[in-house]
Amino acid sequence: MTTSPIGRRGFLKGALGVGALAATGSLAAACAAPGGTGAQPSKLAAPAASASSAKGEITIWNRSGDLFKVFDAAIAKFREAYPNVKVNHQAVDIDAKLANTLISGTDVPDGSFWDDAKIGGQAEHLFDLTDLIAPYKDRTSAYKLSVNTVDGKIYGVPWDLDPGLLWYREDVLDKAGIDPATLATYDDLLKAARTIKEKDPKTKPIHLEKTPFLSQLWLEMLANQQGTSLTDAQGKLRLDSEEYRRIFAWIQGAVKDDLVTHAPYLEQTDVNTLDNGQQVFVPWAIWWSFAPQQLLKNTKGKWRAAPLPAWTPGGARSGAMGGSSFIIPAKAKNPELAWLLYEFLCFKEPGYTAVYGPNDVYPGGLSTSIPSYTPAADPAKPLFKPIDALGGQDLWKVAVEAGASIPAAAPIPWWWAQSVDYLGNNMQRLMEGKMSPDQVISDSAEKIQKNLIDRS
Amino acid sequence: MRLRSVRLTPYLFIAPFFAVFGAFGLYPLIYALQLSFMRWRGGSQARWVGFDNYLYLLTSPEFWSSLGNSAVMWLLIVPLQIVAGLGGAVLLANAKLRLRGFFRVAFIVPFVTPLVAMAQVWIVVFDQDYGLVNYLLNLVGLPDVAWLTSTAWSKPTLALLFLWKTTGFAIIILLAGLQAVPGGVYEAASLDGASRWRQFWSITVPLVRRSMAFLVVIQTLAVFQMFTEPRVVTEGGPYGSTTTAGLYLYDHINASDLGTGAANSFLLVLLVFGLSLVSVRMLRPKDEVS
Repeated sequence: MTTSPIGRRGFLKGALGVGALAATGSLAAACAAPGGTGAQPSKLAAPAASASSAKGEITIWNRSGDLFKVFDAAIAKFREAYPNVKVNHQAVDIDAKLANTLISGTDVPDGSFWDDAKIGGQAEHLFDLTDLIAPYKDRTSAYKLSVNTVDGKIYGVPWDLDPGLLWYREDVLDKAGIDPATLATYDDLLKAARTIKEKDPKTKPIHLEKTPFLSQLWLEMLANQQGTSLTDAQGKLRLDSEEYRRIFAWIQGAVKDDLVTHAPYLEQTDVNTLDNGQQVFVPWAIWWSFAPQQLLKNTKGKWRAAPLPAWTPGGARSGAMGGSSFIIPAKAKNPELAWLLYEFLCFKEPGYTAVYGPNDVYPGGLSTSIPSYTPAADPAKPLFKPIDALGGQDLWKVAVEAGASIPAAAPIPWWWAQSVDYLGNNMQRLMEGKMSPDQVISDSAEKIQKNLIDRS
Repeated sequence: MRLRSVRLTPYLFIAPFFAVFGAFGLYPLIYALQLSFMRWRGGSQARWVGFDNYLYLLTSPEFWSSLGNSAVMWLLIVPLQIVAGLGGAVLLANAKLRLRGFFRVAFIVPFVTPLVAMAQVWIVVFDQDYGLVNYLLNLVGLPDVAWLTSTAWSKPTLALLFLWKTTGFAIIILLAGLQAVPGGVYEAASLDGASRWRQFWSITVPLVRRSMAFLVVIQTLAVFQMFTEPRVVTEGGPYGSTTTAGLYLYDHINASDLGTGAANSFLLVLLVFGLSLVSVRMLRPKDEVS
């Protein structure tokens, strides 16, 4: 038998081809297989079993970190109420794993924590929870319901609400003779910033965010405040609107007057300029409360929170910035039991008290968000305590009252995170004085429409 | 019966490889190829769109920009790495070098260090306001440089990270090539009066060309797939200036735009194959050129 030898050149070419295919093709293989049945999402019915007869085991995914420990303790409370339900509570990299798990349908958990922004894009893999949430709907934040609703159906159990607040340095305002109560509109805020800068030219009082993703999330808070969002309920882009133009013009004005510190969220530059007096105002979500409690040294105890200024006199004094909910995958093995857990955590007093109230992880309570269920968000019944790092301010009252004014929005489109490449980047150009508001709107709208919406 | 079992035996021996290759190599490739002609976001049913994904990419400024970023990275990395790798290899091949063991370890340590950890160090060292590099520049009276936040400096800074990480590997490859050169060749050249420099250019470089070609191919693949460095250090920014071809591909997959991601993969396959072929042809020793 004779064999034809492979020439060195032929071998090299072949090896090159296989190497290149294997190397880059392995990324393509990660795409998984096209499939799916195209079936309508399943509607989850209320479990018939009583608390004592509910029995089984559920796997629940959560983010790792302190919040996981908080939920772990709250789940222990759930087990007191439902002793026959075993909860396998797992810390998982949800951003990396959940979408792929839902698509592949293998090893799917019975329930998971998830960003509100991601729920709409995977609705067809989730249980329709509309009927289960119906008894609580009227007492749940309109904003949270709207971002969890796709085609009239609710796919997430609304958990936290993250109201935007105006964080300010009380001592600096005192010295400048500015009453925080007079900061009723964004024009008032600019005026106050100018006054502070006149007294201390080193200050650049207003924080503007330098990371594209967070700056776009911040933009959506300011838009939500005005009752709008990037798209309407039908998915039509509404960036080219008076509300967005108003925000961009305000940013441009603040930048032109040299009133801004353009820094990345709580990175070293940001922390230093917050702590050395350069920054005085931070319009940001409630979760910024983390900064004075954990990061700031020199100015700890000097920061306070107030409702955001309104865009127009009498307008809403807050908008939502981020937030999460709980989902139940359509392929969950024990979806009814998962619902019982989430119903307990979100809508039953022992549950939401266990999450937000004082606990081993947060002795004063969880103060980086508030419940979206209005009976839990009662200004007169604080779940977390006043915060020493805010000079003993009752953040609960401020946040809950601000949260009550947040307007409803629209489902967050699946492509929201991808739109940061266009809108988030252009926001940065605006903040650096490289683009005008009209340019931000026209360029971002054109690219989002072409690359994301038209390719849906 | 006996004859038949004898004929089957060799196939049975090689069958496990082909079964594994078929399941985990060939099948995903064919599936990805099929996917590249579809629009599918992981839900419902995939829709056949013909060449639409390919056309979209080929007419997309972002796709070409990602290739451009990778091409610039290639220019910043590969030639410099060949020079640095060859210099390091010549240094380590010198038996008279003091602390040779130390240098060998020092060159190879970055190659075996987790890249994510190195990338985190890079973020700290090159921070515009509080980084060590700018601190040193300030000491000699130079102004701060926006290493990671300006479009002008972000690519060179990432290229430097890549070089730090992988030049040890280049040295190993070229050192192996150098050690394969028979000592007698240098001896003969010395007897003929060739200077050390002449020996380097006329003996060392031509005789390690095959190793260099291998290195160029491997690093071309690596540069066009570069992902971790821009993902961790700059997230592809500022303004997409460090969105490499690998990161751009990942962005599609991360957005569950799986059809476009697959098409992007195959376009990269073609590109990398072509570039590798050109590199091999250019660096092939002259005696192999027919």
